Parts: sequence; C-alpha cells; structure tokens
Amino acid sequence: MNNRKVAVTGLGIVTPSGIGRRQFWANIKAGRSFIKDIKRFDASKYPSHIAGQIDDLEEYSHLSPRLLRKIDVFSHMAMIASELALKEAEIDIQKEDPDLLGIFLGNAIGGWLYAETELRDLYIEGRKGVSPYMASAWFPAAPQGQVSIYYGIKGFSKTVIADRAGSLMAIGYARKTLNKGKLNMILAGGMEAPVTPYALLCCNTYGALSKNNANPQSAYRPFDKKRDGFVIGEGAGIVIMEGVERALKRGVKIAALISGYGTTCDGKDRIEPDSSGKELSRAINMALLDAGITPADIDYISLDGLAYDIWDKSEARAIEAVFGNRAGDIPVSCPKSMFGNLLGASGAVDLIITILAMEHNLIPPTLNLDEPDPAGLNYVRGKAKEHEINKALVISRGRGGINSVLVVERGKEQ
Amino acid sequence: METKDKIKDILVGILKIKPDELKEDGKLYDDIGVDSTEAVEIITALEKAFNVELGDKEITKFSSINDIEKIIQAKLNK
Repeated sequence: MNNRKVAVTGLGIVTPSGIGRRQFWANIKAGRSFIKDIKRFDASKYPSHIAGQIDDLEEYSHLSPRLLRKIDVFSHMAMIASELALKEAEIDIQKEDPDLLGIFLGNAIGGWLYAETELRDLYIEGRKGVSPYMASAWFPAAPQGQVSIYYGIKGFSKTVIADRAGSLMAIGYARKTLNKGKLNMILAGGMEAPVTPYALLCCNTYGALSKNNANPQSAYRPFDKKRDGFVIGEGAGIVIMEGVERALKRGVKIAALISGYGTTCDGKDRIEPDSSGKELSRAINMALLDAGITPADIDYISLDGLAYDIWDKSEARAIEAVFGNRAGDIPVSCPKSMFGNLLGASGAVDLIITILAMEHNLIPPTLNLDEPDPAGLNYVRGKAKEHEINKALVISRGRGGINSVLVVERGKEQ
Repeated sequence: METKDKIKDILVGILKIKPDELKEDGKLYDDIGVDSTEAVEIITALEKAFNVELGDKEITKFSSINDIEKIIQAKLNK
C-alpha cells in the first residue's frame, strides 16, 4: 500500500518568528511581523532590502566551533531543526538501525554565504586563499550530508531541488518511501539562507520581491490589492516521519498524519505559472484522491501566497476550480507574511504551522490583507481565528509552475 | 616564537580546540581526528606562516606535531 497515512512525531522549527515550537507558535498566533531592514551587510542599494532574519542562531546551536567553521549557515539551521525534531519525537538515535533511517530535504539556492566569501578570497588571494571546505559547504545537498554524518544516518536519502516547492516535495517523497517499507524513519523538510549579498541579488533579479522597503512589516501582502511582491526569509523546518504502527508502538504522540500528496508542472513559462491555475487544481485533486477524501473534507488551506498578481490569482482560481461553491467557506491563510518566504524551506514551515493550528484549533492569520484580491476566498486576516481543523491542504509552488500539494490530518489513532 | 609553538597555535586556531588537547608525538588523525580536508587547511596555513612550500604528501593527517616541526625546520634551515 503506497497511499497509507504516515505519522509526524516531531517538529523542528528555525525561523525569524522563533526557534522551537513554543516561541514560534506564540508569535505566529499573535500575528507579529518579523520582517526588518537588512543590516548584516550594506543592502541599501538593492531594490528590495528587507527580509525575515534570524539574529540569534548561535544561542540555539549544539555544534562545536570546529564543525561550524566547515559548514554554511543553511546547514547550521538544518542541524538545529533536526535536533529539535528528534528531541520532540523522543528518538534515541543510537538505538535506531542506521541503515533504515533517511533524510529528505528541500532547498532552492544552496549555501551562498560560504560560497561568496570563499570566491572573494579566490579572486583576491588565489587558490590557496580558499577554504578546502568550500567544496562541501555550499551545494544544496550539503545539509543532507551534514545531518546524516552527525547522526550516522545511512539509509536512502535525497535532496529535492524544486525552487520554493522543494521541501513540501521532499515530505511527499518521504511518505512514499516510508510506505514502500524502505525505511523506518525519515527526517524531512528543508532549509534556506538567502539573506547574503549575492543570494539577495539573485532574488532581486527574479523581480517578484516587494520594494516597499520603507514599511518592512506591511510589505508582504499576499492576496491584497496593494501587493507588490513577496519578502524573503531564512530558516529551516524539519519533521520526523515514521509509520503509524511504529509511532504507536513507541508510545509517542502523533502530531499529525500525512495522508496525501500531489504534484504537477505547468509547462508554460520559465518563470511564471499558468494563469489558469489548471495544473495546480490537478495537483490538489491528485492529493485529495491519494488521501482518499473529497473537497468536502478539507477544513483549512495553507496558501502559497507569493503576493504577485499572476501567482495569487492562479492559486485562487485553482482553489475555486476544485472546491466550487465551498471555496468561499473554507478558511484559508498565508502566515508566512509574518516572517517571509523561506523559498525551498517554505512548504515544510507551512506544514508545521498547519500542524500547530490543528493542535490549537486556531488558524493563524495572513498579515496586511486589507482588500482581498481576488475576492471570493474565506481569508483569515489580521487576527487568528478559532476553528477546528481535522484535515487541511498545504500548497507550495515554485518558479516556472511547479505545483506541490500535501494533505495533512489531525494526529489521532487509526 | 619557537617553531613548535607556532605550529600548535595554527592547529588550535584551525581546529578550535584547547592547546592541552594537542600531543606532540601522536598522529593528528588519531589524537584529534583531523580529516584530510582539515589537513589541507593546516598545510596551507603552515605554508603561509613559515613562508615555505610543502609538497602534497610531506604533511598528512597521519603526521605528528614533531614530524611537522622537523619538516618545517629542515626547510627553514636550507
């Protein structure tokens, strides 16, 4: 059976809104914005120079200074998120069979802080000025390698590069892999560290970033008429996934169940999505079918919300196509408006928020959504809203029209 | 500063360890787990600090501090 439900038993969250579930949820439910001016380097000349940033990563680190010299900050974030998730899931890694442990992570751009610094040294000092760790620090699969070395993970593992959809896709594949009986447990999610001079430049070149630098906290406005693009953020979201039977046997709390996954490509344009949202709606239907449920069963939708015309409109169209008359009833929101779009890590963080929303029967809001555009969806905006969620959809999309949709259900016994 | 102390300073700086973790006659790999990439970093730093050229296999992760001192000292005396 490839479409069984898989248990999520631990959440590891590292974001501008907080590190660890308690601090993170307190800020998310309160609807606080953590978008600020970029100060760690001179970004003032960039068209968009605001971002969700983590300034106190070191305080949460369990890594030695010797190891930290060898890795980029995006690996560091993944290591902290992994440690938090494993602790919450009550995993004693020494007692696991390493051959049956896997790690599936999504990332979009790689570890540019390390790469930029070393490339500068290459041009100034020549080849001997470059750290020999450069080769193993910057590339997108580096966090997968570092986490697996640290915990001795030796089973089938993968890094998924699918622009912003990478981490949700990694979680979808992790479920499939667990259902094939290949592994006992998977650390799944993603990490991204785009607040560096070159990475920020690339994000700016993409052209979809908000230029509302004067008002950082109200710059990211998904589905609002006055939107002018998204705001980037940095961080990681990693969850522990395992078979439901194994989780029950271990006697650990099942935070949620992953029950369906769908993915499609628009195949239209190098950058933009298909404006009709047709392929996204197909991915939603695919995920619902995989979960064995119908649109009537969904209580909440976590939106991708790029705050860019064609993206928001096509997302709304896809939801309307699938849910018909119910599209105006189901609460939807885009909480990443509080801390920025974590690109390749955004889907995993959205999943974690959705799980926390289920636990607390509270839908976190979309910030800055004053005048809905397009209208017609039941946007939760400004303030969190009490609502029981038993089954939810998480939507994550990437450049050029990568559509990824996950069905998540309240954690309970089968 | 004595050659040996300078070598130790370099190792402490690169490996972020305490000076008393270093043993003069043990292999870097055995005593403090130096891997081949760290060895490359150490060799580059030694070349810079002592202004010498080190061949590919003169110093490896299996060298000891005493071995390194001998090699560097021989080059400095030339």
